Amino acid sequence: MSEFSKSLSVSSSALQAQAQRLRHVSENIANSDTPGYRRKTVSFETEFGQRDSVGRVETSRVRLDQTELAKVYDPSHPMADESGHYDGSNVNLVIEIADAREAQRSYEANLKMFDQARQMSSSLMDLLRR
Amino acid sequence: MFEKLEVFRMAHAMSVHAGARQAVIAQNMANADTPGYAARDVRPFKEIIETGDVGFVQRATRPGHLGGAGVPVDLSMSERRDAIADPNGNNVSLETEMMAAVDVKRQHDRALAIYKSSLTVLRAAVGRR
Repeated sequence: MSEFSKSLSVSSSALQAQAQRLRHVSENIANSDTPGYRRKTVSFETEFGQRDSVGRVETSRVRLDQTELAKVYDPSHPMADESGHYDGSNVNLVIEIADAREAQRSYEANLKMFDQARQMSSSLMDLLRR
Repeated sequence: MFEKLEVFRMAHAMSVHAGARQAVIAQNMANADTPGYAARDVRPFKEIIETGDVGFVQRATRPGHLGGAGVPVDLSMSERRDAIADPNGNNVSLETEMMAAVDVKRQHDRALAIYKSSLTVLRAAVGRR
């Protein structure tokens, strides 16, 4: 496996991982008003290939954030208990936006590396041209 | 006459080194958010050439043997230790990686430019410009 294809496969694995992270963030934001919803988080792991020593990125299993759900006071809500509270979600929009922005930046950085590997290999191919 | 042109061998080794380093940097960049990942790097090409530490060379036992593929370069990875780790144990700095990536791109371009211009000289020598 040539170095360029290694580099391309590592970068594309990272693009996939960041895209998945962004998917979970948008899921959390979409469900921020769903009663009883716990925000989903993923972590990243380095996965070394069997044949080549390339550290590709994989996302770990989805975990649920176990922080306390927000208690919302609304006696007219159908799910309200005797004291007039119901369980909201534990999504914090500011955290989600920051996470989304970070995923976007990482995605861009990896896209840059992908493009650089492509440019380098295409300039190598240009040697064959007269 | 054309068997061992030092300039071609050197340019080849330089571009091989640039390619390998690019892959390492791409790996660092990809793992910039992975907990516990330590950034890696290969030794700079200048250092490898200066110390003459070019690994083992294929031995030619007959004059007809080819001399192997250019200057062999030591491409072993080592962990970068100077960077300060995040609380999750990851010590990749995107800025450092970006700078290294630009460095690698320029090294690769330089090697290819040297190769190309030497090729032009050779072509001129055989009279097919």
